[in-house]
Amino acid sequence: MSKPKLQFTDSQFIDGLRTNSNEVLTALYKKYYNIVLKLIVSNNGTQEEAQDIYQETIIIVFENVKKPEFELNCQLQTYIYSIAKRLWLKQLKRNGKTFLFKEGEEEEVADVTNDLSEHFKKEDNIFKMNQSMELLGEPCNTIITDFYVLKLSMDDIAEKFGYTNSDNAKTQKYKCLQRLKKYFFEKQVEHELN
Amino acid sequence: MKNVDLFDDYLNNHLSVEEKLNFEAQLNSDVVFCKAFNEHKLVVDALTLNAQKIELKKKLQTIHANEFGNEAKVISINSTFFQRYGKTIAVAASTAAIVMVGSLALLTAQKNNSNQITDLKRDVLALQSTKDAIINEIGKTNSKLNYAPANLEGSAFALNNEGYIITSWHMVNGADSVFIQNNTIERTLAKVVLCEPSLDLAILKIEDAELIKNWQVPFAFNDKLSEIGEKVFTLGYPRKDMVYGEGSLSSLSGFYNDTTMYQISIPVNPGNSGGPLLDEQGNVIGVVRGKITNAEGTGFAIKTNEIIKAISNFANDSNVKDVTVYSKKSTLKNLKRTEQIKRINPYVFNVLVYKRD
Repeated sequence: MSKPKLQFTDSQFIDGLRTNSNEVLTALYKKYYNIVLKLIVSNNGTQEEAQDIYQETIIIVFENVKKPEFELNCQLQTYIYSIAKRLWLKQLKRNGKTFLFKEGEEEEVADVTNDLSEHFKKEDNIFKMNQSMELLGEPCNTIITDFYVLKLSMDDIAEKFGYTNSDNAKTQKYKCLQRLKKYFFEKQVEHELN
Repeated sequence: MKNVDLFDDYLNNHLSVEEKLNFEAQLNSDVVFCKAFNEHKLVVDALTLNAQKIELKKKLQTIHANEFGNEAKVISINSTFFQRYGKTIAVAASTAAIVMVGSLALLTAQKNNSNQITDLKRDVLALQSTKDAIINEIGKTNSKLNYAPANLEGSAFALNNEGYIITSWHMVNGADSVFIQNNTIERTLAKVVLCEPSLDLAILKIEDAELIKNWQVPFAFNDKLSEIGEKVFTLGYPRKDMVYGEGSLSSLSGFYNDTTMYQISIPVNPGNSGGPLLDEQGNVIGVVRGKITNAEGTGFAIKTNEIIKAISNFANDSNVKDVTVYSKKSTLKNLKRTEQIKRINPYVFNVLVYKRD
C-alpha cells in the first residue's frame, strides 16, 4: 500500500525552492517537521508553538535560499534546526522564560546570525505593514492590494469597485495610500512587547 | 500628475526612456523628492513582502493540514501510545501504587504528622484513579463493543430545526464517516451535505429523523456585525465533556486582517473548532475557527453574516434547498447564563471524524 517516497538531496531541495516547486516545498516541510517539533516540545513548547516556529523557519529558509549569494555551508537539516532553535530561544526570552536548553539529536548548530538579523530587520517592516493594513480596513485594503500586489490596472480597479472612471479610482487609491503611509510611519514596533 | 503616480509609473516601468532619465535626474538633484520616493518605495516593498509572506504562510498551513492534520496527530499519537504501552503503564502505575501504599502504612505505623498522611493518601487515590483510567482506556481499545477512537474530534451546532448542523470544513475534509453525539443524542451518523472551504465551513445533516423531531433551536443567528468589547461566550468539545468559555470580542477582523472573522479573547483549544460563538442575548454571532499559536487566550471565529451569505449561495447553487439558517428571535434573552447553557446544550455536538489513512 505504501507509496514509494520521493527523496530529495539538499541541493535538489534548494533548486526546488528557488523555482517555487510546490512538490519540493511539501517534501521539505514533511521531512524536517519532526526534528523541529521534538526540539520545541522538549523545550517547554507546545505542539502548536512548534508548528508556528517551524513555519516561520521554513519562511526564512525560503527567503534566504532565493538570494543569489546564498550558500549552504552545512547540511540543510542543521541549517533548519539552527534557525528554529534561534527563533524559539528568542520567543522564550520574550516571554521571560529561561531554563536549561535541551538539545535534540542535531547538536552541531550552524551560525545563522547574519541570515536572521537581516530577516528580523525586514520582519519589523512586514509586521508594521500587516498592522497598518489591518487599520486601513475596506475598501482601501483591497484597492491597495489590487494595485500594488496583484498589479491590476486602474481601469480594472475602477470597474471592480464601480467607479465611473479610472481617475476616480486613482484618487481613491491615492487617499488610501496616504492613510496607509501615515499608519505605517507612525506605527511603533509593538510586537517586541508581546 | 501627483508624485505618487510618477513613483508608481517609475517602479512599474511605465515611463518612456526620456521620462525615466528626467525622473532619475530629479532624484539626484531634489532632496525632498528623493526622500518622498524612498519612503514610497519602502511602503510598496513592505506591501509586497507582507503579501508574499501571507501567501507562503497559507501554503504552509495547507501543507501542514494535509500532511499532519491539525488535531488528528495528537489523538492518533495518544491512541497508539496506549495500545502499545498501555499495559506497561498500568503495571508501572500499580507498582507505584503499591510502593505508595507501603510507605503510607509505614507512616501510619510511625504515627507521624497526620497532615502529611492525608496528603499522601490523596496521592495514592489520585494514582489509583489514573491507574483505573488507564485500565479503562485499555479495556476500551481492546473491547469490540466499544467504538474505535475517532481520527479527529471537534464541535458542531444546530443550524435549524430540520437537523442541519454546522461545523468546520477542516474537520470533515476527507472524512470517511462523521458521527455526532452529546448528552441528549447518542452517537449518530451525520452526512456532509455542503462545504465552503474558503470560509472553513461545512454543513452536516443528521440522518435519523426520529432524533430531531422535537427540535426547537433556542438561539438565533444574528447577521448584524457585533461590536468590539461585547461580552461573548463559546461552547465546545475540546474533550469528551462540553466546555464553556467566556470573554469579549476583541477585534472585527481575524488573522492577517481577514475581515470574514472576529478575534475573541477566549482561550480555545483543539476540538473547539466548529463550535458556536454567542453573544449575551444568546445570538449566534460566529463559528469558532482557530487561534494564534503564540498569543495566549486569543481565538478566531467566522462571522455569522458570512455564514448566512454562504448559505444563501448554497441554496442557489445546489440541489439542497432546505438548508436555511434559523433566524427567529433567540429564546435565551434575559436568562441567566447557566439557564442559557442548559437550553443550548442539546444543540451543540461533539463531532467524531473517521478517516482512512
